[in-house]
Amino acid sequence: MKVAVMSCIHGNYEALNAVLSDIDDQSADKIYCLGDLVGYGPHPNAVVEMIRALDIPTCQGCWDEDIVEGLNSCECSYPSVLAEKRGKQAHEWTDQVIHPEVREFLAQLPLSLRDDNLCFVHGSPHNQHEYLMPEVDAFVALERVLVTGADILFCGHTHVPYVRSLDAGQLQIRVKSTGTTERDVSFSAPLKRIVNAGSVGEPRHGRPNATYVIYNTDADQITLREVEYDYQKTCAAIIDNGLPPIFAWRLARGLEFAERADDPTHVCER
Amino acid sequence: MNDWAILSGIEGNLAAYEAVLADIKRQRQPVEELYILGDVIAPTAESEQVIQRVRSPQQNEPMPQVCQGWWEEQLLILHGLGRTGEPTELIERYGITMVKTLWDAIPREMVEWVRSLDFGLFELDCLLIHGSSVSVSDQLTPDTPAMQMLDRLMRMEANTLFCGRSGLTFQYEIQQGTVTSSLTTLDRSNSPQAIAVKPRQVVGVGNVGRLPGQASYALYRPNSNQVEFRTVRYGAGKGFQRASP
Repeated sequence: MKVAVMSCIHGNYEALNAVLSDIDDQSADKIYCLGDLVGYGPHPNAVVEMIRALDIPTCQGCWDEDIVEGLNSCECSYPSVLAEKRGKQAHEWTDQVIHPEVREFLAQLPLSLRDDNLCFVHGSPHNQHEYLMPEVDAFVALERVLVTGADILFCGHTHVPYVRSLDAGQLQIRVKSTGTTERDVSFSAPLKRIVNAGSVGEPRHGRPNATYVIYNTDADQITLREVEYDYQKTCAAIIDNGLPPIFAWRLARGLEFAERADDPTHVCER
Repeated sequence: MNDWAILSGIEGNLAAYEAVLADIKRQRQPVEELYILGDVIAPTAESEQVIQRVRSPQQNEPMPQVCQGWWEEQLLILHGLGRTGEPTELIERYGITMVKTLWDAIPREMVEWVRSLDFGLFELDCLLIHGSSVSVSDQLTPDTPAMQMLDRLMRMEANTLFCGRSGLTFQYEIQQGTVTSSLTTLDRSNSPQAIAVKPRQVVGVGNVGRLPGQASYALYRPNSNQVEFRTVRYGAGKGFQRASP
């Protein structure tokens, strides 16, 4: 069985259509979406309507949450002050144009989805806002998979696709507690993987192409897919709708155009 | 460097706190720092006196460094100053009547002090916190899975995490560990690398005020990384009694 997983569409209808065509070409049996349907891009309503029409199981992303709950995260949600300012502009625009039924749909999305030994989340199992960057410490990454009980954790949020394999994890523990004898404990974990699906509508891997992944369960094979589409059309719509032009600039280059977060694993307490 | 005394959960029990302070003074190795990992208060009438005692140590006592605990967080939520808007956890655990009980127990003028407390304290390579680096409600125990313990340490890059939420005294040492990691992106594929974890530990520092007549806390010697747990019996018929100053 082939499972297609996509994330971070961000109101980019052109990119979504291209990815759905590619998924069709690849003969995928199932599609999952890891959220962030809206925000940054010019077509939030059309994207949500397409996801709903195709009945694609979707979990809630941080942008989806913010549109429902209102912006309530601290500055840590953005990698820089500049990014925060632009993000707020995009939030206000999206908040104004979004249809009530679309907001209702986003509100009822689950935080995680499960299919056998596969788990699907937006950021991490702990928080939609947590970035599981490819360079995050291997033990931290392993904990994120183990806490789900799954073998493969699919996530998005960083907009850069990757496959991280974590094999032969083991820990030696000694526990001393008052009133009991000291005990030694061994812990071991078999192969676990984190698969980041990248971003359909706002890629940041250095090229403008949309990205997503396909997991072949029979062959146990993960393929990172990169799909060309007419990004200029989306860029023009960004400008025409009065969204910050920098969004079009970075979409055309597949760049984040902001410095990295000091602590990508930081989880906002709010 | 002299010892640290680390305690948690006075829970508005002044006699228990006095007993622990007296035990600290009796130590042969002087105690230089006193850390209180939250739950200074509880819904008891004595909580106000405990706050005053904590804030005003005697001349021969170290000034306590205090962080927020679970009860402090509940109080702040009631006053609209918490991380969440509703006292859901308080009501789930203790019922709706506890909202008024806690509100009445702590005078408003004490709330500003509670608000000023840090979420946690970081000293040398040690994180001192009520629950964990995740929340005040996060309860670490001797049975917590190893990866979860390691995660709580690594979130703050601490080598030792002192916590008090469980009320238990324990030392949980992560002695060694490895994992083999490899990464594939659109443009490159890294060959597998073995990653090792350095030794770290989580220490449960016990609870001062919850169990009548018996308080527990921890002494820590930063130079040697040694931990000693102390149990102090107090009150009538316990062989130790000390009048309040």
